[in-house]
Amino acid sequence: MNRLYTSLEPRVIDDGMLKLAVGEQRPQEEAGKLAKQEGILFKDVLSLQLDFRNILRIDNLWQFENLKKLQLNNNIIEKIEGLENLTHLVWLDLSFNNIETIEGLDTLVNLEDLSLFNNCISNIDSLDALIKLQVLSLGNNQIDNMMNIIYLRRFRCLRTLSLSGNPISEVEDYKMFICAYLPDLVYLDFRRIDDHTASVSLSVSQQAPRFLGKGKEVAEAKHHYSIEELKHRENLMQAQMEEEQARREELEKHKTAFVEHLNGSFLFDSMYAEDSEGNKLSSLPGVSELLEAYRDKFVIICVNIFEYGLKHQEKRKTELDTFSECVHEAIQENQEQGKRKIAKFEEKHLMSLSAIREEVEMPNIEKMILECSTDISELFDALMTLEMQLVEQLEETINMFERNIVHLVGLFIKNVQSLMAQCRDLENHHHEKLLEISISTLEKAVKGNLDKDLSEDVRALFVDKNTIVNAVGASHDIHLLKIDNREDELVTRINSWCTRLVDKIRRDEIMRNRKRVKEISLYIDHMKSELDNLEYSDILD
Amino acid sequence: MEVLREKVEEEEEAEREDAAERAERARTEKMMRQVEVRKEETTLTQEMLRDLEKKLSEIRIPVSVEVPAFTKDTIDISMLPVSYKTNTSKEEQLLQLADNFSRQYSHLCPDRVPLFLHPLNECEVPKFVSTTLRPTLMPYPELYNWDSCAQFVSDFLTMVPLPDPLKPPLHLYSSSTVLKYQKGNCFDFSTLLCSMLIGSGYDAYCVNGYGSQDLCHMDLTREVCPLTVKPKETIKREEKVLPKKYTIRPPRDLCSRFEQEQEMKRQQEIRAQEEKRLKEEEERLMEAEKANPDALHGLRVHSWVLVLSGKREVPENFFIDPFTARSYSTQDEHFLGIESLWNHKNYWINMQDCWNCCKDLIFDLGDPVRWEYMLLGTDKPELFLTEDDSGINNEDDVENLHSWVEQIEISPEAFETRCPNGKKVIQYKRAKLEKWAPYLNHNGLVSRLTTYEDLECTNILEIKEWYRNREDMLELRHINKTTALKTDYFKPGHPRALRVHSYKSMQPEMDRVIEFYETARVDGLIKREETPRTMTEYYRGRSDFLSYRHVDFGPRVKKLTLSSAESNPRPVVKITERFFRNPAKPAEEDVAERVFLVAEERIQLRYHCREDHITASKREFLRRSEVDSEGNKIIVTPDMCITFEVEPMEHTKKLLYQYETLMHLKKEEKLSRRQVWESELEVLEILKLLKEEEEVHTLTISIYDTKRNEKSKEYREAMERMMHEEHLRQVETQLDYLAPFLVQLPPGEKLTRWQAVRLKDECLSDFKQRLINKANLIQARFEKETQELQKKQQWYQENQVTLTPEDEDLYLSYCSQAMFRIRILEQRLNRHKELAPLKYLALEEKLHKDPRLGELLKMFT
Repeated sequence: MNRLYTSLEPRVIDDGMLKLAVGEQRPQEEAGKLAKQEGILFKDVLSLQLDFRNILRIDNLWQFENLKKLQLNNNIIEKIEGLENLTHLVWLDLSFNNIETIEGLDTLVNLEDLSLFNNCISNIDSLDALIKLQVLSLGNNQIDNMMNIIYLRRFRCLRTLSLSGNPISEVEDYKMFICAYLPDLVYLDFRRIDDHTASVSLSVSQQAPRFLGKGKEVAEAKHHYSIEELKHRENLMQAQMEEEQARREELEKHKTAFVEHLNGSFLFDSMYAEDSEGNKLSSLPGVSELLEAYRDKFVIICVNIFEYGLKHQEKRKTELDTFSECVHEAIQENQEQGKRKIAKFEEKHLMSLSAIREEVEMPNIEKMILECSTDISELFDALMTLEMQLVEQLEETINMFERNIVHLVGLFIKNVQSLMAQCRDLENHHHEKLLEISISTLEKAVKGNLDKDLSEDVRALFVDKNTIVNAVGASHDIHLLKIDNREDELVTRINSWCTRLVDKIRRDEIMRNRKRVKEISLYIDHMKSELDNLEYSDILD
Repeated sequence: MEVLREKVEEEEEAEREDAAERAERARTEKMMRQVEVRKEETTLTQEMLRDLEKKLSEIRIPVSVEVPAFTKDTIDISMLPVSYKTNTSKEEQLLQLADNFSRQYSHLCPDRVPLFLHPLNECEVPKFVSTTLRPTLMPYPELYNWDSCAQFVSDFLTMVPLPDPLKPPLHLYSSSTVLKYQKGNCFDFSTLLCSMLIGSGYDAYCVNGYGSQDLCHMDLTREVCPLTVKPKETIKREEKVLPKKYTIRPPRDLCSRFEQEQEMKRQQEIRAQEEKRLKEEEERLMEAEKANPDALHGLRVHSWVLVLSGKREVPENFFIDPFTARSYSTQDEHFLGIESLWNHKNYWINMQDCWNCCKDLIFDLGDPVRWEYMLLGTDKPELFLTEDDSGINNEDDVENLHSWVEQIEISPEAFETRCPNGKKVIQYKRAKLEKWAPYLNHNGLVSRLTTYEDLECTNILEIKEWYRNREDMLELRHINKTTALKTDYFKPGHPRALRVHSYKSMQPEMDRVIEFYETARVDGLIKREETPRTMTEYYRGRSDFLSYRHVDFGPRVKKLTLSSAESNPRPVVKITERFFRNPAKPAEEDVAERVFLVAEERIQLRYHCREDHITASKREFLRRSEVDSEGNKIIVTPDMCITFEVEPMEHTKKLLYQYETLMHLKKEEKLSRRQVWESELEVLEILKLLKEEEEVHTLTISIYDTKRNEKSKEYREAMERMMHEEHLRQVETQLDYLAPFLVQLPPGEKLTRWQAVRLKDECLSDFKQRLINKANLIQARFEKETQELQKKQQWYQENQVTLTPEDEDLYLSYCSQAMFRIRILEQRLNRHKELAPLKYLALEEKLHKDPRLGELLKMFT
């Protein structure tokens, strides 16, 4: 199968070869002359042909950033590599090489046509990134497993496939199998799949039970079941992924509202997660009920915070939306004005330019040119005034927005803090209760009638008053710390979000302003230089 | 005040009563006598009837000459059914009831005119008005709604004025007669319309009342034609958008407010003056248009239709004037009073005062104070409605009024022709509307509206002509006489997808605008405007995003050879093309406008503006002297292309890029010029086509229209013939060949064998005789033919010399025909000879198999 290394020496792609190839493939005649004059940059090349060159290793192609079509057929390449930078590739031809595995194509997301004809590939994989793939040529390879076809189901755009000359094409129902599993395919092995075949395989796959017991159809009936199963599995996967996606989005939304994980007992659970003493104490009689009630109340407050957070998030969002909408409108309006001014100017300018060209009297020409240049500077002034006006207006609006958003954030923080304080109160209350129970238990312990079913490490706490008070206090401290941490996190995050947002708005506005000023001055410069050129040419004339 | 006036009125009434009573008594007496007379009339002799007729025709007020007379003389009453000529006992009873009612009424209200209760019909039989209404639902879906119904009635009938404009007519003809003669007075009109409306479910009533002069004379000259009234443009009130929270503040206004106010004041003054002037002018015009006062105002009797709300989703009561088919509100000042109204069930008298026209009338017929009903049982239409829903058996005692009129029928031909003779002219204020039936005019013209500048209708302003069933889909032609601009509107389906064509002359290269149905065209052309020196085209939905092309032409180069627009196109000076934004391309590479200055050999490109920019890239290619005489070889130099780029890019600076762009543009320029040339050609072709269509103007005929469509007609006739033949054959098969023989035998008895044998023999011998007779007949004809031919030949030989060539031709053709006949007869004879024995045998066989004879014969054999 592999072509023997011929007497020719294997070569590597180097600069000389590339230049030669590019030079050979440049446009012909006049254009070619021009191209030669100017030289061609590798990054301007759209199509490159490197066939029959005994290339062993793909290399040095990184400069061809914009390459769309690359032909490397009829070489002795053994490994697909060095194509990572050619992300604009649409057409890749690697036929008649010695490639054994498909690899190194993960960045070529725009690839539509891939030819790996006449290689030594035995498995179809690593093509996941090529979502736009339409034509896949894998003929004359070593593919021997039908399951490879199932892999191709993920390419929704795939229309043309060639697999002839592979071991699998020898299988009896090879064609039927492919038609059944790849229903969108139009061409198989350079021939159009006629509707009959398609319908047969389709009908087989849909109405299989009817054909049961009839030699060939039995096989297709089997396909039917396996296809259905496959579809089912695919659907399940799809659904799972969607669900996952939805969950992630939900969490993301909560995060933007800064109240993630507050819609349940997450915070409460985390309070007790690292609190060994608290867990121990919960086994005391009466504590579990207390804990239950405490937990319920706590969760209610958390949910309150959560809902309040979502509500406020909505408010902030509408605020931001109205702001950006208004700003957008203002900018649009301003641009329209600018465009109108320019259009008006251009009309007049064109007239006066042609008038200048017609004119013969030198003093007249000079006068007109002067007029023109004053026009240009007037336009410049007008545009700049417009721009400055807009800058002022936007500045004002941005300030207002900042004030409002800061106010909103402040309000939110204040309310959340008060809710958090409720939590803390609850904790304090609980702490007191717990302390009471502990003390009474201690008293019992001192008297010696402690419950029998208490575990040893709990009993160990009830040695003296200090120990038990310390234990309860430690638990309490941990809880408070957790609550404080959550609160701090929320406050810092929302504050940083707020500053970042305002910063970004200001930065964007500055960028916009600079861009516009640059644009205007560029335009004015162009106009002036045009006028100057006219002057020179006229004088020369 | 009210009380005082009433008192005065009462006094006046008391005074009047005496006189009125006397008069009333006299009138009732007279009426009684009349009734008596009528009663006698039924038994009167022909002589007396003629006498009365003469008397009546003497009484009739002579109507103006040009009005088509519609008297009973012209009506052929011989064909009318019995119900027209006599009264049933029920009807007699009803008439007596009506008389009684009328007497009571005149007694109670002596100052009011007598009721219009039972006028005579075309057979001189008194009929109660409610029974003259014949509710009918028309089989035409077009006549289901009141507006189309009224339009139909007004189109279909020709108006005849009342014999006495101050009195209701003595006769009220049946709707069937009216439809037959297509003429009628306002009572006929409203009776017909009312019948149709009630039939299609409206709560409609015939009204006997008083109308204005214009209304009674169907005079529309003071009305604005509804077709000329432009639909009032609904002024879209810009909803003031609430300023959003962050809307930027507008820049400070630095204008002086005082100056503005002064300016405003001045403007207002000018406007006020203008308005005043306009108003005065308007008033002057109104004055001129106003009619001279009518001496008989408020006395002219008219009849119209009232439609009450409730049924058929009618939201409000309204009047329909049957003459003009216009609807009026019940407050309209054309309607001056109502005497009475009726539908097919009952008769109501208006007891309300009509001093303020009909504006204060309340149409609650269930209110006995306002509306005096004549028949019991239907006193409350509202009540009746509910009963109607619950059960129909009430209908019998309620609907005891059976119409004597035959079912109203309108033939499809008459329905299509509509107007009498298919033509109708209506004169409006400053407008004239002419209507024709479809297919009446061979160019498909169905209506024409002529608008005039002045009231006397002398200066034509514009003409609108509507066409129908035209093969070229022409729908409307609008001719503006002041600007001489003609505008043709086409329906979808023109071979060139034309939509609107406005022009002043049909000559090419003149001012014209052609609009197209762009979806029907491959090139997406919407509109093409032409002036002598330019052509502008607008496109939409093209794959190359072209939206606009403007071409400037130069003066035509004079050629010595005979030149037409086709062979010698005008030189193109400049082509401007604009493109929509192509979303697939970045803005700085997407050309927005390109101008080919052909004469100056320059190409200007302007690109689309990027979303956040205010300037767009531009490029100008000069190739003035760089083209040598050979053609394509261009030496590219950097100063050939002037470029302004919003964001300078590297690759566009290259000469190669410029060269390629230029080459591409050159190709495009050629293409554009070719397209321009093609467009010109197309215009020529369209004009040619339009001219041809104008000359030929073929009309399309629907394949369902079997009367007009020749093919369908043939097909239908063939079908009918086939049906007929089939029918004949069936009849034949049913014919019993034994019947004439069986008749001789006593009926109902079973045949004896002897009888059967005899029957068979008779039958066979009869058949044999028939066969022989037939043979003889053919033989005789054959001989006769031969003899005649011989005679003719003889005659020819004798007179051969003196014969003219025509006679000779005649002779020859006769000979050939005679020979043909002889040959055919010979063939028939031979055939008969061949077939006769076979037929004979077949009959025998058949007789053997006949169930009536078969068994007996079998026994015999």
